Formats: sequence, C-alpha cells, structure tokens
Amino acid sequence: MVAPVRRFKDNALSLVFLVMFLLSLAGQALAGMLDYNERQLVRGGDPVSFGRYVFSSDYAANVAENWQSEYLQFFLFIMVTVWVVQRGSPESKEPGQEGAESDERQLVGRHAAPDSPACARAKGARLWLFSNSLGLVMGLIFLLSWGAQSVAGQSSYNSERLADLRDPVGWGAYVTSPDFWNRSLQNWQSELLAVLSMVVLSIYLRQRGSPESKPVGAPHSATGVQG
Amino acid sequence: MRLLAGVLLTALAAGCAADTAGAARAAERFTAALAAGQAEVACGLLARKTAEKLPGPGQSCAAALRELRLRAGGPVTEVSVWGDEAQVRLEDDTLFLRHFGDGWRVVAAGCVPVRDLPYECEVES
Repeated sequence: MVAPVRRFKDNALSLVFLVMFLLSLAGQALAGMLDYNERQLVRGGDPVSFGRYVFSSDYAANVAENWQSEYLQFFLFIMVTVWVVQRGSPESKEPGQEGAESDERQLVGRHAAPDSPACARAKGARLWLFSNSLGLVMGLIFLLSWGAQSVAGQSSYNSERLADLRDPVGWGAYVTSPDFWNRSLQNWQSELLAVLSMVVLSIYLRQRGSPESKPVGAPHSATGVQG
Repeated sequence: MRLLAGVLLTALAAGCAADTAGAARAAERFTAALAAGQAEVACGLLARKTAEKLPGPGQSCAAALRELRLRAGGPVTEVSVWGDEAQVRLEDDTLFLRHFGDGWRVVAAGCVPVRDLPYECEVES
C-alpha cells in the first residue's frame, strides 16, 4: 500500500471525527447566526455578518457549554471506571480489579516493556504525571471550557439583559444564576445519560465489529471484553 | 490543542471586549441636545424603532420629546457595554443604547429602576 494512503487509513478514525466536528462547528455557526439575526430583527438591531457572529459571546457561550460537558463526561468516565465496575459491561474492568492496579499489570517501572513510553520507566512525579495524564488533561480542558462558558455566557446574558432594559450582572452573580446552571446541567444530564446507556446497554446488546461492543457471541456476564 | 486555545481565547475576548467610550459619547450628545432644547437633534440620535414609537398620532418625534421634558441627566457616571448593548448611567438618568452600523443610538431614556424587573422608561422601543 502507498505510504500516504496507509497513513490515512491508520488515522482514519481521528480524521473522520475531525471532519465531522469541523462541519458541525461551521453548521452551528451558520444556524446560530441566522437565529441570532432573527432575534436582532425582533429587537430592532442590525443583523450581524458570519465573521462577526463567530467572534460573538453568543456563539462562544454555546460552543463552550457543550465542550465542557463533553470533557466532563470523558473525565468522569476515565476516573470513575478506575474505582467502580459494572459486571458484564465492556466499558468496565473485571470486578475485583478496582483501583490503580499493580506496576506489573500497568507495565511501569521495572515492568515496562521494551516499547513502553520512556515516561513509564520514570520514577516519582514524572511517572505519576504520565500515569494520570489522560484524566488530568481531560479535567483541565473541562475546567477551561467551563471557565470560558462562564465568561462568554456572562457577556451573552448581560447583552440580553441590557436589551430587556435590565441591569447587567457581575461574574460572581452570573455563575450563581439560574442561566449558568441551566446551561451547565442541561448538558451534564444528557452526557451522564449517554454514559449510563453505553455502560448498561453494552451488557446485553452487540455491534458486530465495533471495539466498543463485546463480540456478538460473548456471554452477557463477560466484563471488559471488547470485540 | 491550538483550536481549543483559539476558542477559549475567543470566548474570553467575546466576554471582555467593550467600546465604552463610543456609548458614553452618544449618551452625552443625546443629553446635550436635550439640555440645549434641540429636540430634532436628540431625535436623530434615537434608534429607529424608538423614534417611530415615541410620537402620538400626527405628532413629530421632536414635539413628543419636548412634551416629555426629560431630565438633562448630568454627567456620565458609569458605562456598561455587553455585545451590541450598553447602559449609560448619568447623574440623574439612565440610558440604554444599541450599536448599529452607523454607531451607538439611544434605545431608551428617562429610565428609573424597578426592583427585579426591567427599568421603566419614558422613551423606549
């Protein structure tokens, strides 16, 4: 196989999701602008251009509120599954394996394989950091996105309040307001439901060929088995 | 990661950027016109929807504005700008403005606060 084609195939999953993500982001910007301009029309304001809308607090708040919930979902999924199991789910470890597991099982320190990352052979803080890097990065992106949602959301909220002839509110008042928590919790509940569905449905249902599913013939009681 | 940083910075910029000077100048021009008895000039600084709603049947905007005898307002004490909307507090009045293609225009004037509710304004759209 020609090298570029092989490289594309080897990374096709990431590329497919990257393209779908960018198309959705652009679609959201277009639909968001049309929705925003409809509201502008009602309140007697000028419509905004596409370029101006993508730098608006309205768009930034809508994007950030969804991002934070997705990263929260994966952060929780990664961290909770270290300690909590679900018998029969391919998303879970076998019961009895709860916890950070032994160095031998995790291939760290003197148990590192020849092709293990260099950090797996490190000690102390460097090993700890690498051992928890996935959860830390997901958690950090969640906090940054949630922070961005609070800043952009405050701006968008205050713009609406001023248009309604009401006083704007400070950041502290905004992050304790119903608007902020409604935006946050409506996203969190859907993400948590999606994880719950995945954990439970994957016990009894199968998707042939998907690594997110157990093999079709695997018993319902098999845990941590991926197809 | 670069995309993430870009969006986060955009969110912060969208949340922080504000042209308070332009809104304050527009509010000062409006109150100066009222103080000078130049109701036509003041009407020219109103948002189109506000100017259309202000006069009664057969009345001009300027005549309606004169009839209201709005307070001169005094000097600007505080300006808040969020997106295309602004609130300019004067010593004796509060104005609400909106940014249009040709600059800031007054949407509401002669406003008094009402607890937990929108301001009640003598001029509004």
